[in-house]
Amino acid sequence: MPPDRPDAPLLAWQRCFAAVLHEPGRGDLALASSLVATQGADAHARIGVYRNNSLQARRAALALAYPVLQRRVGDDYFRQLTHEYRLTHPSRSGDLHDGGGAFPAWLQERLAGTDYAWLAELARLEWAVEEAGAAAARAPVSLAALAAIPAAALDDTSLQLQPSLRLVSSPFPVWSVWQANQGEGPAPAIDGGGPEHCACVCTADRVAVYRLAAAEYAVLEALSRGATFAAALEAARSEAATLARVLDWAFAEGLVVAVNPSVRA
Amino acid sequence: MTGTAAASPLAPRPIPARAGVGLRAQHHVQFVRERPPAAWLEAHTENYFHDGGPAVGVLERLAEAYPLSLHGVGLGLGSADPIDREHLRRVRDAVRRYRPALVSEHACWTHVDGEHFNDLLPLPYTEEAVEHLAARVRHVQDFLGRQILLENLSVYAAFAATRLSEGEFLAAVVERSGCGLLLDVNNACVNAHNVGLDVARLFAELPVAAVQEIHLAGHTRRRVGTQELLIDDHGSAVPDEVWALYAQALRRFGPVPTLIEWDNDIPALEVLLGEARKADALSREVCADAA
Repeated sequence: MPPDRPDAPLLAWQRCFAAVLHEPGRGDLALASSLVATQGADAHARIGVYRNNSLQARRAALALAYPVLQRRVGDDYFRQLTHEYRLTHPSRSGDLHDGGGAFPAWLQERLAGTDYAWLAELARLEWAVEEAGAAAARAPVSLAALAAIPAAALDDTSLQLQPSLRLVSSPFPVWSVWQANQGEGPAPAIDGGGPEHCACVCTADRVAVYRLAAAEYAVLEALSRGATFAAALEAARSEAATLARVLDWAFAEGLVVAVNPSVRA
Repeated sequence: MTGTAAASPLAPRPIPARAGVGLRAQHHVQFVRERPPAAWLEAHTENYFHDGGPAVGVLERLAEAYPLSLHGVGLGLGSADPIDREHLRRVRDAVRRYRPALVSEHACWTHVDGEHFNDLLPLPYTEEAVEHLAARVRHVQDFLGRQILLENLSVYAAFAATRLSEGEFLAAVVERSGCGLLLDVNNACVNAHNVGLDVARLFAELPVAAVQEIHLAGHTRRRVGTQELLIDDHGSAVPDEVWALYAQALRRFGPVPTLIEWDNDIPALEVLLGEARKADALSREVCADAA
């Protein structure tokens, strides 16, 4: 076992270094000077290089996860938002990717009640895309797997969907905004628009982001929780035709990885 | 299934003593489609931590086509905090999945009291730091069941607590942990400018057999306080002074697998491969002279 608490001087030294990284104000001049062999203001400026590197690394990781958000708000405002986020959400991982998950919820609180509340919804969709792209893809099964189930047992049948599936339902047209910002060049304006419902999934080598009608989304959402076909229809207050459309689409797009016959059979 | 002994699933393809390039997401598609003639690839371990997805699929395929090195940036082995066991487990999973010939990390710290700074932070060169870092490296090597390489850091300040030279510090960690070294020649160049490192002394102090990989990269100049510092930003071509130090390193350490690193303003892959050809040519020239 390695020593988890090595000699105190190293721990104290790193705490002191961290304090200088935290405090860009004048108060840490003495601290910086106690660490650095070069005395005076230069000591502070030299440790400032590390502060700047750390900030940039965090911002770059968020920019990678939230490219559409950055494009919509512009570099300056994105920088301001990520700086504020970092102050309340210090990184807890050596993997920068882990630090972006709380950003949508933070944005929601930060922008609540403003005209920009929808940006938090956009961020929610972008994180769903990010998560889908980091999940394992399993081999899909075809519609033939469903055809093997006797008609009488279909009500009690359920599905197992790709582990990468992420569902986002928003009162704002987030899919349209996201889609419009995928290409190069200026993004077209989105005029009005109501709620949109999205499914993100990684199959083979790409993340696909679908927009679904409300009824289909409700059925898919129930199925993703393991509901039987009958329960999914009931939960979504939907019709059999909706379920049929969702099933056709889900099998065709490789979303279904297993068909579970009735447990009562 | 048929195959040669060299294609054994347990034996990774060894990295040749030639120049390879850092694998960056911008070049994924080109690598998969065209299989450009890179001698070997190095990937940042943390970028391939996921359970799946497109990036993981790309590296799985490329690991079969090219000799591979995994280079970690997030373990922070010099951190006084307890070792991040979850991060280490993910490194082990990546090593099992991609089967790299080399695995490396940095002689740095990254976190304290649970807060990560996601930057390669410098250590004071003290006896305590040697002991601590060597113990952590031993732990990681035991956990992974293999040797790792430790990379020398670029620094922007010299520290009052320091008692050893950079070379003495690294050599002591090698001696007490059995790790190898990844010598970043650009970092040595940056340190010579920023804190007056004596590069010839550094090279002389490092045990020759320990140096199993070299990094080459570009840096930039920035006004910091009253000084102009070199910033190790990996954002440009390898500059002349780094090529000159590379020649010195080759004379001392012989031909070693060498990597062209480029992380900001990443150019077309052909530019990276051109830098790798330049490194190969210099290595042939220097090592032929030395022979």
